Amino acid sequence: MKNNSLGKAFLLLVIAGAVGYGIGLGLDALVTGGLNFSGSVASAFTLLFGFTAFFFGLYGYRGITRGLVFQVVGTVAGALFVTGIRALLRLTAFGAFFFSEPAWVFGALVGVLSFIAGVGIVTDWYKWARGMDTPEHHEDEPGWEKYFSVSLDHKVIGIQYTVTALFLIAVGGTFALIFRTELAASELQFLTTTFRAFNQTGPQFYNTLMSLHGMIMIVSILLGVSGIINYVVPMIIGAQDMAFPRLNAFAYWVAVPASVLLLMALVLGGFDTGWTGYPPLSARAPVGMQMFFLGVFTAGWSSILGALNVIATVLRMRAKGMTAMRMPIFVWASIATSIIALTATQLIGLSFQLVMFQRLFGMGFFDAAKGGNPVLFQHLFWFYSHPAVYVFVLPGLGVISELLPVFVRKPLFGYRWIAMSSLGIALVGFVVWAHHMFTSGMNEYLRVPFMYSTMLVAVPTGVKFFSWVATIWGGKIETPTPMLFVIGAIVVFLLGGVTGPPNAMVALDLHLHDTYWVVGHFHDTIFGGFVFPFFAAIYYWFPKATGRRMNEFWGKVHFWLMTPSFLTLTFGMMYIGLRGMRRRVADYDAALGFDNAHLILTICGFLIALSVLIFFINFFRSIKHGEPAAGNVWNSRSPEWLVPSPMPAHNYEVPFEVVGEPYDYGLPGSKYVEFAAKKAGKH
Amino acid sequence: MSNKQNHPSLLPQGVFIFVYLAVLTALEFFVALTFNSIIILVAVALVKAALVLWYYMHVYKLGEEPKEDHESYVYKAGTNRIGLWLFLISDSFVFGGLMVMRLSLLGLTRPDLNQTLGFFVTSVLLVSSFFMNRGEVQLHNGNRKGFLQNTMVTFVLGLFFLLGVVLIEWHTVPAIAEPILHLFGEPEGKEPLKASSGPAGAAFFMMTGMHAFHVLTGLIFLIIVWVNGKKGLYDEKQYPVEAAAVYWHFVDVVWIFFYPALYLIGTAI
Repeated sequence: MKNNSLGKAFLLLVIAGAVGYGIGLGLDALVTGGLNFSGSVASAFTLLFGFTAFFFGLYGYRGITRGLVFQVVGTVAGALFVTGIRALLRLTAFGAFFFSEPAWVFGALVGVLSFIAGVGIVTDWYKWARGMDTPEHHEDEPGWEKYFSVSLDHKVIGIQYTVTALFLIAVGGTFALIFRTELAASELQFLTTTFRAFNQTGPQFYNTLMSLHGMIMIVSILLGVSGIINYVVPMIIGAQDMAFPRLNAFAYWVAVPASVLLLMALVLGGFDTGWTGYPPLSARAPVGMQMFFLGVFTAGWSSILGALNVIATVLRMRAKGMTAMRMPIFVWASIATSIIALTATQLIGLSFQLVMFQRLFGMGFFDAAKGGNPVLFQHLFWFYSHPAVYVFVLPGLGVISELLPVFVRKPLFGYRWIAMSSLGIALVGFVVWAHHMFTSGMNEYLRVPFMYSTMLVAVPTGVKFFSWVATIWGGKIETPTPMLFVIGAIVVFLLGGVTGPPNAMVALDLHLHDTYWVVGHFHDTIFGGFVFPFFAAIYYWFPKATGRRMNEFWGKVHFWLMTPSFLTLTFGMMYIGLRGMRRRVADYDAALGFDNAHLILTICGFLIALSVLIFFINFFRSIKHGEPAAGNVWNSRSPEWLVPSPMPAHNYEVPFEVVGEPYDYGLPGSKYVEFAAKKAGKH
Repeated sequence: MSNKQNHPSLLPQGVFIFVYLAVLTALEFFVALTFNSIIILVAVALVKAALVLWYYMHVYKLGEEPKEDHESYVYKAGTNRIGLWLFLISDSFVFGGLMVMRLSLLGLTRPDLNQTLGFFVTSVLLVSSFFMNRGEVQLHNGNRKGFLQNTMVTFVLGLFFLLGVVLIEWHTVPAIAEPILHLFGEPEGKEPLKASSGPAGAAFFMMTGMHAFHVLTGLIFLIIVWVNGKKGLYDEKQYPVEAAAVYWHFVDVVWIFFYPALYLIGTAI
């Protein structure tokens, strides 16, 4: 990446941000008659102008820049349209956040559609609808620039996903650091009632950050999962690309305006419901709530369409000889996760839509005064949002099973069982949602069946642990950075796993519900099931993507800094949770005696952030300056490592055939794939 | 399978299926008006949906194992078919969620709607599905003119259904809606159902709204294949027509469940 274009981009970011701030201040002053320096409109314009200018400086007016410009224009145009109609109908045209709420919602929707049109992802479909033919593949421009505009290559899209996920991890992590700092001691220190940011007081701002930390991390995880799956799956099944390359690109690009909407939720008054968005609170929160709903809805489409593509790809595009029981285990995990993402995601979209319509049109779905039922929301919501955690962790668990045999040089123990356990977790996951609602006031007779179905999840998960332990047993263990993260993942996920059944038990859950115990448990499962394997996968497949390795020393520093800090963090959370620390609160009573524990948690939080910062530097430095590694770095049997790195645009030049079992490491004479002989006159 | 191959047996088959569906719909209406047995209504809806899924949407085609080369059109059409069905599975979770919402909020009551009008718009959608099937079979038999005519009839009927719901049932423009509702025997001065009036209104507008949105996208899909058919496409590569047809029938299947749920089951409130 040229340094001058990056410098230009930051310069433009600052200038355009300032211009946007000025315009926002002026507009706000026109309507309200006063200057509000921390107002929402000024902040929103700063955000939109700044972002767009940044990419303009980096990349010029095409690709993502064009999309963002279209989104800004579309949002304003849509909002003005509704405002005009409301003015004609003599309804209130302007609201607390400059535009009225319906105007913001419609504007945001038009903005998303405009982004899609602007970035150029629907161009081919439009041509098809006009009866024209398009070439099956588009050639990408060389270099880094292809990552900022539409590409149909699954590897480019996988990297786009991964880098976007890393960006969102940084954003969500920063939010966590801010509110974690406030929690370091009892009483409110800097997020006080006199504090003002984006029109919110300190405690309100705390709630917004806490809620957005949740959802931005979730979107980031969904993108990270898609990133790894997109990059790896077509490669290891021997396909040239995904089954639907345009849909694949579409699924990535809708996630970008979705992320912008989530950030707009922060500046448009925020919201204080937590990531769950339960009504009746979410039916009353500021406009930011609607941006949050729309953002999640849009990100959900990314997840659904991505999952559809993965299933179709695996069903139709496997290499010759790759029967179901010879697929790499990561493919099984991707299928399991895609089944959930394909179907259940619709329910979170629906539940959020219903609240949106309740707010916009007064439809009383969850309004008890109008005969609605707030508990219904929780059922619809958790029908996705519990299986969602399996969407997060199943690919990670697949990465563990995929990498473990490589680094212990032994066959994977119980291939069939571990393949089926992924599907088992996914399917049982559909019938456990109400364990989030033991205290919600739902019918009591539902508690016991949901308690048992939840504990049933421990069985296929236990199968996985059994297989991992048996695979490690007696192996020749090597510990380069990816393996360290795999081991870390197993340990942390075990802690997350064993703290799960206590929550499932009704009698205990009534005490544990909404305490820091649950927060600790959740972070253990997600770090063990996603974050550690995600880092392992990045360290592992980085040479495949770039032809260079990430720095081993700094990778190890990353691991040894993050793991102990993280374990201390979650142990501390569970400890104070058991003793009665409520989750999601900005302040706590000093008499509870949690001050010291919270201080330690905050320090651990910053140490984790430091380790991730080291990772980021290592990641971006190694792209250019890493040690060259074109060969089979990890001595793997998997087909993608048998060809030189980085992978060419359409993967394998000659197709391969599967002739043996995938994980027979250390068995003499065993073979997984055989490449067809290279023909001289290839087309 | 060659595209030019004649399948004369498929045309009468479509007629038979349509007759079954029409009789079952009439039966449904009759059951609802007389003894209102939930079990019969559910059973009839399931049978209707199964008929459409098998004979109009050719769900069995998913199980056909292709022997063609991976780069061939037939193989790629098969992949597209799997993609479309995966999308339909995903989409049906939205409608399933709406059904759960309706059952949770309303139970064994239903919105107080004009049942004659409901029966009428349902019939219009059902007939449109019949013509869609005819159009698809005609194209398959190499009769482009028949394909274009039948698709246009489908489009017009679909538009009728959409207007019937959005304009008349929703009372969007009272000046148009009221005389027509009166024609269907609606008493004078009856307060129309509102989205904000209560759970019945909320459920009705949400469910018909989501369905109408899908009808609208189906209409767009239909007009695209009609225009391209007019231009002379789909001689060999006919999958887009099949996709439009399957999607259109899917919209019909959804209505097969929504119609009893909104108009027939339980007592009106």
